[in-house]
Amino acid sequence: MRKPVLKASMLILLLTILMMLNCTAAFAQTDQHIYDQAGLLTDSEISDLEAYAAEKSREQGTEFLLLTTDSTSGMPIIDYMGDFYDDLADETGMENAVLLTIDIGGREYYLAGFGNARTRLDNERVEMVLDRITPYMAQGQYAGAFRETIETADRYMEYNPGVNPESIFLQTWFHAAVALLLAGGIVGTMLYNSGGRNTTTAATYIDRDHTRVTRDSDRFRNKTVTRRRIPKNNNSGGGFGGGGGMTGGGRSFSGGGRSF
Amino acid sequence: MVTHYKCPNCGSDMAFDATSGKLSCPNCGRQDDIETFPEENIQQKFAPEEAKEYHCENCGAVLLTEAETTATHCSFCGAAVVLADRLTGDLAPAKVIPFTISKDEAVAAFRKWTKNGRLTPRGFMNGDRIKKMTGMYVPFWLYDINGKAEVAAIGTRMRTYQQGDTVVTETDFYDVYREIDLSYLKVPADASEKMDDELMDKLEPYDYSDLKDFRMPYLAGFLAEKYDFDEDALFSRVESKIVPYIDSYIGSTISGYSTVSYTNKQINANKHKVYYTLFPVWMVYYDFENKEHTFAMNGQTGKVVGKPPISGGKVAAWFTGIAVSTFAALKAISYLVGGVLW
Repeated sequence: MRKPVLKASMLILLLTILMMLNCTAAFAQTDQHIYDQAGLLTDSEISDLEAYAAEKSREQGTEFLLLTTDSTSGMPIIDYMGDFYDDLADETGMENAVLLTIDIGGREYYLAGFGNARTRLDNERVEMVLDRITPYMAQGQYAGAFRETIETADRYMEYNPGVNPESIFLQTWFHAAVALLLAGGIVGTMLYNSGGRNTTTAATYIDRDHTRVTRDSDRFRNKTVTRRRIPKNNNSGGGFGGGGGMTGGGRSFSGGGRSF
Repeated sequence: MVTHYKCPNCGSDMAFDATSGKLSCPNCGRQDDIETFPEENIQQKFAPEEAKEYHCENCGAVLLTEAETTATHCSFCGAAVVLADRLTGDLAPAKVIPFTISKDEAVAAFRKWTKNGRLTPRGFMNGDRIKKMTGMYVPFWLYDINGKAEVAAIGTRMRTYQQGDTVVTETDFYDVYREIDLSYLKVPADASEKMDDELMDKLEPYDYSDLKDFRMPYLAGFLAEKYDFDEDALFSRVESKIVPYIDSYIGSTISGYSTVSYTNKQINANKHKVYYTLFPVWMVYYDFENKEHTFAMNGQTGKVVGKPPISGGKVAAWFTGIAVSTFAALKAISYLVGGVLW
């Protein structure tokens, strides 16, 4: 009787170890997505966002990372972010990542896409994500900003590279509206014409031999000139570092940053 | 006055045949040109002045007609009769376009038309419930219109270009002036009160190369009416018909501008000549689901007008079909371009 019990407990133990191994294998690249060095988030926010980032990272094959800091030790935020990512990538071997860096000391934030995210979240898309998180940053909702970053970047990365994901031509409501308008227009015309159409035109009864212009003049009168300055696209915080760059470790990235 | 056209062969009542354009005898098949039909075979009898009562010369039955009727059939023996005194003097038509579509052709053309009805109920599309087809000459006034238009307008030409970070819009203003001689020929307006104006307008255009000097035998075998409205009464209607034509002609003489705003537009249209003309129309009375629908067919070109019954199911089917397929096509394109379905 004792031997089977032992065998069973051994099996359970083995399975548990295997499962743990398996789990660690899946999360081997990063079991941590949030590096909150500035302490901007509460513990519950961190655990929530860790779970959300892990789930989306697994789906997307790209790690969604958040780095916060009090000070960049005098470095530009791009270099600070680059050094941090070089260290992390060398350590874990991750190559695909979307990294949001918040420098609470310099009141700047920077979003970068590494590896496959460099094309899937290119500079234009980075700017669009930044547009969306700017309100959160201004209100100090850093957890909301990161959640929005993950959500929007995850959505944008589904689109083919180079396509504007917010383009009206890709919106479902636009497709539905065009379909309904077109159908309404065609069926309406069919209904309107079901009783027979008027096919006489201005040309039907005209006597071309005797209809003509007998006197005409086109005299220049005056001229007006109006000038309008093209307004500059100025965001409240002001952007910098658009177009991405390369880290000290030789990893190139797409990216863009804002002040707040 | 009642007029019969007696067949020189057999003495039957001849009627106008739309296919051949001749008077033909239903009995022996003889056909005669209208221009050369022998006078002695035209049988006429004047009714007494007081009694506006007509008698069929065949059977002696009283012809019951409405006051506007100028050609009809005897309701007893079916002989084609033309009421000649209603077609003389002021009431004499100047021109006529004879029927070129015979009754059989009209039935076939109407059936074909019902089949093309994309929104009509299935039962209607058989076209097999024609209750009555009536060939009718409808009185029209044709107006030759002469006129003058004098137009003053301000036209602008706009040019927009970019200079550094400034958009510059240059607008040139021009004084535009036009004096135009206008001439429109044979613009029709139906002179029968019974006929729906909108329906008759839609029957246009007729081919005026078939316009013939009026002769009574064309009416034999058809119904015909005399006008209810005279040429002056209808001129305003014709005017309202051609004003849009004149406007579009004026617009076509002022070109090359970004915008044109009229400061003065005077159009003066006068009737130059008027022709009292009979146009051929097949009236089709069609029964569908206990309701009679009336259609009119151009007796020269075969064009059919009139409101057919509409099937709500078919309208819905077309609407959803187009909407769904457009939606699917747009989705497919956006998937190919954007790589995302939703």
